[in-house]
Amino acid sequence: MGKGQMCARIVVLSLSFACCGMARADGDSGGGSGWFSDMDVSFGGFIRPEVALHTTDKENPLNERGNPYNSIAAPRQAYLPPNSGTALLSALGSPIKLPLPLNWNSIPLPNVPLLLTGRDTVQRPVPPANNAFNLHLLRAEVEIGVKFTNDLKLVGRLRAVGDFGHYSDFEGYGPDSRINGGISGGDPALYGGAPNYFQYRVEGDKHPNPLEWAGPNYMVYFPSLFLDYNHGPLNVRLGNQAIAWGQAIFFRVLDVPDGLDLRRHSVLDYAQEEYSDKRVPAPALRLGYQITDGILADGYVQKFQPTVYGNPNTQYNVVPVQFTVHDRYSEGGYEDKLGYGLRMKANFGQWGFQAIAVRRYNPDGVFRWTASGVDKNLPATTSGSTPNLLGTFVNLANVLSGGAGKNLAGTPFEASPGGVYSADEWFHYAAMVRLDGTNGLNAAVNDFMPYTTKVFASPVANYQQAVGELNTFFIAGGGDLRGHIEREYFQETNLGSGVSYVTDGEPGSILDQLIINVEATYTPARVFTAPTLGKNFLHQNDWVSALVLEKYQRFSQDFPATYFVLQYMHRTRDDLFGRSLRGYSGTDTAIPTGETNANYVVFAFQQPFPQDIYRIGFSTLYDPHGGILVQPGLQFKPTGHWSIDGFYTYINDHLSGNPNSNLLGGLGFANEFTLRVGYQF
Amino acid sequence: MRVKRYGHDFSRRHFLRQTGRSLLSAGVLMPLWKALAQSGDASRAYPDELLSIEGYTRGRIKTGDDITAANVELVKDLLEPIKYAQVAHMGRRLRVARTTADLMRLSPWEYLEATLRNHGQARFDGRGNVVTADGRPWIGGNPFPAPGTAVELFAGLTLSWGRHDASFYAIKEYDLSADGDLRFEYECGWAELSPVARVCIDPKPYWPGHEDKLRFQSVFFQSPDSAHGTSFLNIWPYDQSTFPELYGYVPAFKRIRQFPTDQRFEPLIPGSTLYLSDAWAAGDPLYTWGNYRIVGRGPLLAAVSGGWNPTHPNWEHATHGGPRGKTFWDTTVELVPEAIAVEAEPVRFPRAPVSRKRVWFDARTLLPIGMVSYDRRGEPYRSFDGAYALYESNSKVFMDGGHPYWSWAHIHAFDIQTGCMTRLEQVREISGGHAMRVNDTGIYDGYLTSSALMRLGST
Repeated sequence: MGKGQMCARIVVLSLSFACCGMARADGDSGGGSGWFSDMDVSFGGFIRPEVALHTTDKENPLNERGNPYNSIAAPRQAYLPPNSGTALLSALGSPIKLPLPLNWNSIPLPNVPLLLTGRDTVQRPVPPANNAFNLHLLRAEVEIGVKFTNDLKLVGRLRAVGDFGHYSDFEGYGPDSRINGGISGGDPALYGGAPNYFQYRVEGDKHPNPLEWAGPNYMVYFPSLFLDYNHGPLNVRLGNQAIAWGQAIFFRVLDVPDGLDLRRHSVLDYAQEEYSDKRVPAPALRLGYQITDGILADGYVQKFQPTVYGNPNTQYNVVPVQFTVHDRYSEGGYEDKLGYGLRMKANFGQWGFQAIAVRRYNPDGVFRWTASGVDKNLPATTSGSTPNLLGTFVNLANVLSGGAGKNLAGTPFEASPGGVYSADEWFHYAAMVRLDGTNGLNAAVNDFMPYTTKVFASPVANYQQAVGELNTFFIAGGGDLRGHIEREYFQETNLGSGVSYVTDGEPGSILDQLIINVEATYTPARVFTAPTLGKNFLHQNDWVSALVLEKYQRFSQDFPATYFVLQYMHRTRDDLFGRSLRGYSGTDTAIPTGETNANYVVFAFQQPFPQDIYRIGFSTLYDPHGGILVQPGLQFKPTGHWSIDGFYTYINDHLSGNPNSNLLGGLGFANEFTLRVGYQF
Repeated sequence: MRVKRYGHDFSRRHFLRQTGRSLLSAGVLMPLWKALAQSGDASRAYPDELLSIEGYTRGRIKTGDDITAANVELVKDLLEPIKYAQVAHMGRRLRVARTTADLMRLSPWEYLEATLRNHGQARFDGRGNVVTADGRPWIGGNPFPAPGTAVELFAGLTLSWGRHDASFYAIKEYDLSADGDLRFEYECGWAELSPVARVCIDPKPYWPGHEDKLRFQSVFFQSPDSAHGTSFLNIWPYDQSTFPELYGYVPAFKRIRQFPTDQRFEPLIPGSTLYLSDAWAAGDPLYTWGNYRIVGRGPLLAAVSGGWNPTHPNWEHATHGGPRGKTFWDTTVELVPEAIAVEAEPVRFPRAPVSRKRVWFDARTLLPIGMVSYDRRGEPYRSFDGAYALYESNSKVFMDGGHPYWSWAHIHAFDIQTGCMTRLEQVREISGGHAMRVNDTGIYDGYLTSSALMRLGST
């Protein structure tokens, strides 16, 4: 048996069956007659530490310790709530509304020492992070294959990932963590303090991913565990598996069956490896039928599994931690949903065609405000231990209507540390995550009446009024408020097709053997998160298309061919990460103006050295609105057992204009050098 | 007892005269093909000095001896220059076996029968493809068993590589550095299936609906983990001026991707010195190479028999030589009475790293028994020598239908300029339960479709 891979024959089983026996070289022609005469067990795998060295002073702003307002003092001015009278009447049980012509900028509240804080400056009470490393992973993978017969085998791949590094981790709010009892809403395992790197948890289910076992610092799961049956042109796979479709690399046009697992290194792994370990596996039945030499039918039915985002305060988290997310995957009954699809793929010489039809739940899900469910009065004191008169006033005003806590529980807010502390912070983050700060506030108010009215919230007419209302409530909240959003999933139909053509030209010329590929998908009435996080999601017909040019070109006789790929993607409704384009181009002081479409260009090449011991890679993703990702890398494979990969990721999200107008705005923290040293066995 | 009627230099002078001629006529004493067709034995076509190592060396080397650095000068003219250098300077040894007289032990039985049966029916059509008299694709066996030109030699080889209608080879590959260290070790599978010129698998000679194709061929890597699932599928058109369609499964992408069809000089995996173009010394369509010409004739020592190792349960071979004793397979050679050296140039590959290749054919079987390719400066670049075998040894035999299996057994692919060696061996089975198979129609669905590549791919 080779050193690289062990092959263990199941001798005992072989002997157990009367008719079986390994083929012997003394008169037979291979193959016994027993059911398990061909049984074979094989396995292989690797172990690989991975380290990402942080090369910028920026931290992930979506985490507590990367928040720029940890270092910025923001002014706040509270105002008399314009609906104070109505709110009081409402709190007393009266339906009468007073027609007072006030707004959230009409009557500023004064500072009264030891009594009322009407105006202050606030700085988030969290020390900024200063990470030297973004990633410290130890990854081990083992693949096992059990061949029962020539037609039937079991394939399993077990992946174990641990993160045992030391970071400038968030470890709670220090003295402020006692404020108002600390964070009450959400899953304590995710929002209770130190980051939970790996556990994927949703409301009502701590283990929504089948065949996955995880703790805060480790994860073990089966990306594959399925029975594979092949007979003639029929191939059947039953079990946990990932499915990849389409020809385009990195741009997911026809690659719709599976969501992505963005824990660990998010999308910032070596770009040219595409999403090799990112697709979320799911229990599925997949059938392939080779109709002719060139025509393949490929269909599946699959349990719905959502995209998994990084947890709060993990390095590549994509949801601001001021939000508490309630994932309704289990409570909403989505765990029992199925997706299914069919792909036809045909190759006719230089031409290739494929078409897909998929009915699925969009694994990315959509978000909107949700009632916090946190029954907790506003704190009587602020973080500085001074009396919180505003909060106390709201509490007293709600005594007869069940208490402020009860009414706050009906709003999407929670008065606990770690939320948004100022209107400046609110609008900065709204723009950064492609949301509408002003109308988002209104949605939070309007969608949760009468509870919002009872706590003196009301809609605003413009940015300035929103600033007034937000700062008032942050002061009343004892310093800040946390927002609660929920994640839901919607069914959709994806119709797609692709055409590829390989050109014929003068041998060796740039136009010879150029592979041209066009792919497009159409999704009618796709559901998107509204930039307001309002209860009414966006429903829009969506086109996603990509043009891919691939070319292998030899420039020298000494070096193998260089692989080039140039890709262009056009999206009509959302960006590459699924965010609605309507939320684009906001600023710290203005609501988003939106974009009409998104366009991306990818250029990449790989240059293997002779014998492929070294391989240089280069990838770049360019958003014409001012963002670029550049990733050069080198792969070195000195022997069969060892491999060393290093790559540098550079992201510039402000080449021109507003960073919130391009895909990469907010990702500038991820400039890093990644080193991976693998040993395979 | 044969009477020696010809002096020791007779054959050498004969071959020198023949090499200068544009038309080939194999055999010294009589046309080789005539001798083979009459008796299946080449002996009548050659003088004694070409029929045994003892005759050639006047008894200084005998059957059963080892050729080593100590005695290699005696047979220097019988070795390709690289093989000679390996023996003289790198510790390679060659065990000498008796020359096989029976033609039927030197190729698959059914292939040879078809060669004899279909002799004289082949011609080139207007595009240079081998067809029958009525213009249909070839019907089996070697179309030009008595080749008159270099291109006829290559045409026969390109038409059928492994001489079986379908083969799945379980292969172990070892890549060694110039220091003799084993740097990479792979397990892979190689499948090939002929939809035309079939002599064994029904329907024959054609698979209906596939007459426009010459072969389906794939290679996939089973281990180690980093290479697991890497695979390439070539679908060859029958037209020998057209490149095969090339598809690949890239584990990182988890799907089949189309590749440019001229990617035939690229490393398939790290450490390997093999290209798709190297397969069977004729890995590309016939007319993507050109300027075929005969450049030499004469006897040669080659491993045309005895390559099977039934003493190992998985048919694995022992090694020797080189700095670590692992560079060369233990190899058995025999005197081939007449080899024909043919050169060709990669005319459709303007940036190929090779400028030409020289392939030695056994004149009896027209099998390739050695190859050297040259870089663009004209310097020797890589050397290939393989070993064939009838899978029959003493009391052990591995059957292919009604006859012992015949196939290749091991291969050396040596990069002369770097000193790196790639060794391949055909084994009984690789991990994953992929065992060698021959003339099994299941090879198509198992290894030669897009669906198969996805199934073989990494998970």
